[in-house]
Amino acid sequence: MSEMLEIVSDVFEKMCKDFVTKETVDLLEEGQWASALWQQLEDNELLKVAVTEQHGGANGDIADLLALYQLVGYYSVPAPVLEHTLANFILEAVGLTPYSTVTTILFDEQYDKADGTMHHVPWARVAQQLVLVAKKQLMVIDLSQATITQATNLAAEPRDTVSFQQAGIIAQVALSKQQLQQLISYSTAAKLAAMSGALDKAFQLTVRYSKEREQFGRPIHRFQLIQQHIAILAGEAAIATAAIENIAHGMERSEIAFASIRLDEASKIVATSAHQVHAAIGVTYEHSLQHYTRRLWAWRDEGFTAHYWQNQLAQELLQIEDLWAWMTTK
Amino acid sequence: MKLPVVQFTREQQAFRLKVRAFLQQHLKAGTFQTKCDSWLSGSDSAFSKLIAAQGWIGMTWPKHYGGAERSTIERYILTEEFLAAGAPVAAHWFADRQTGPLLLRFGTEEQRQFFLAKIIQGECFFAIGLSEPNSGSDLASVRTKAEKVEGGWLVNGAKTWTSNAHDAHYMVTLVRTAPYDEQHKHKGLSQLIIDLHAPGVTITPIPYLTGERHFNDVFFDNVFVPDSMVVGTLGNGWAQGLAELAFERSGPERILSTFPLLNELIVELKKAHDIAGLATASKLLAEMWSLRNLSLGVAQVLEEGGEVAIPAALVKSIGTKFEQKIPEIARLLVRAYPSLQAERAFDRYMAQSILHAPGFTIRGGTSEVLYGIVAKGVVAQ
Repeated sequence: MSEMLEIVSDVFEKMCKDFVTKETVDLLEEGQWASALWQQLEDNELLKVAVTEQHGGANGDIADLLALYQLVGYYSVPAPVLEHTLANFILEAVGLTPYSTVTTILFDEQYDKADGTMHHVPWARVAQQLVLVAKKQLMVIDLSQATITQATNLAAEPRDTVSFQQAGIIAQVALSKQQLQQLISYSTAAKLAAMSGALDKAFQLTVRYSKEREQFGRPIHRFQLIQQHIAILAGEAAIATAAIENIAHGMERSEIAFASIRLDEASKIVATSAHQVHAAIGVTYEHSLQHYTRRLWAWRDEGFTAHYWQNQLAQELLQIEDLWAWMTTK
Repeated sequence: MKLPVVQFTREQQAFRLKVRAFLQQHLKAGTFQTKCDSWLSGSDSAFSKLIAAQGWIGMTWPKHYGGAERSTIERYILTEEFLAAGAPVAAHWFADRQTGPLLLRFGTEEQRQFFLAKIIQGECFFAIGLSEPNSGSDLASVRTKAEKVEGGWLVNGAKTWTSNAHDAHYMVTLVRTAPYDEQHKHKGLSQLIIDLHAPGVTITPIPYLTGERHFNDVFFDNVFVPDSMVVGTLGNGWAQGLAELAFERSGPERILSTFPLLNELIVELKKAHDIAGLATASKLLAEMWSLRNLSLGVAQVLEEGGEVAIPAALVKSIGTKFEQKIPEIARLLVRAYPSLQAERAFDRYMAQSILHAPGFTIRGGTSEVLYGIVAKGVVAQ
């Protein structure tokens, strides 16, 4: 971790601690987002970490963003931090100008003409513009002219329906196949970083609960079967963290595929064990565990999923000559 | 738990290719046949000699003792190439992985001078004497005892499940040098190097379920061990043994024991142009990649002298489960008829994997014991 990143992460984490409480996250259920946090992040220029100096940013790279997204997942930040910063990073990557006003992003390979209706658009209700990555082009769409119908994912995060009579396209750029692949890698890595944060938090919450909760006259972490759950959770959290650290170095496509598939598995294992240890309290709104497990269940099926990457890998495997040589040249 | 990311240097990649070329050459020449679980069940002293001739035993040890002072990461590369090729490296395995580092850390100058050069030359193999008939997971309850006599110790008792003791020259043996005390079981334990050809040592095979000779019972009947063969401090055997475990639990041998089968699975699926099968099999590759990240991270921390007991226990418990899973997934993707005598590699590796798999989560610390270590560690943090 670079020195700059360490400082940025520390400040970002402090703001999450100050502004993202269980209550703030709960308010998302009622459609209220953490605008106070957003203001703080904006005032402290934390939304411009990976924007170039030319546009008033700190010149960070994707690795810096991934470190922030781990915190987004760890604190279940109820604001479009990931979407906005990723959208701007991608805009600059294709030679366009980033925005200060709230910006969101959607990948829709089917969508080559921006008219009609788009589903599951993250945070469209609070965003000014949408970066739409289609198969052969990237478009920036003015959302002020769109009809937005509110909808949510499994974790009550805004995933709105956006429809147009005619979309106001503010900017547009053609994408080569290689460019599209790179943007897909960024998008997948971003989601995985957030997932790894949520995985780690679910593990931490479970350890804490196992120390607080007593049954049969002792804290439940003293029972061997609970210890097994804790060990399994520790392993999945360590695997997820190491996966993100590894993809951040190099952003290699097949490594992103591996991470996607493995974190999909980790989400299943962690959600199952964390809930089992928390028992009844964990499946209610009383406890914050559900903020993390619901996000994991939502995120794993959004954007580029393990299903997508398994098929990508299958195609790649057909081309390779020797499995071991291929696995060890990364 | 944050582990470092290991990125191989150009020199390390070149070293990997050199090892790979050596293995390919010997595979083609028929020096060995690829086999699953070859690091523990493929003992071939002639092949160990060939490896020694390359300078690949004790390669991280000081030059002063005949080593090459290469890095832990290079040894990691060497080891995973052996495993991927399914090469028979069991004969020198424990001496290279455990005994050398143990002697470098705790041994006397005389012991280092005597043993390290022989190990490096592939002439001296070690076994590890831990379990006893009544001491398995509860290792601190061992009862084999050493009584002080003039100039040394008289050992009586028995070790069991001792891998490859029949091929080894010596055994690092955990014994009781002070009377057993139920309240302080970990005290009074010491590590002695026992010459397995000394009078009073009897080694008898316990056939493994493949029919191979692998495990042994080792009996001691008034075996004399000179004072010079005590490793480290008398009574400190438990702590010294624990220090070895990080090396034992976190290496690629906890991930790749059934890699030859995984490789053959991909070969078969590609032959059949089975996209759906490859998509399913890619889950195994993702698991392997993620475990390797952890395992390499631990190797790097070990290189820097850091504390890795918990991540090492994690690598072993998760990695061995992965090794066990490979045959179970593979047999549903490609039709198999597992047989140790099969002509078809897929069927042969399948048989080896199925029959060796139950041992993966037992040897070197059962998963249940490891889960306990990890859970207690994270709860205490």
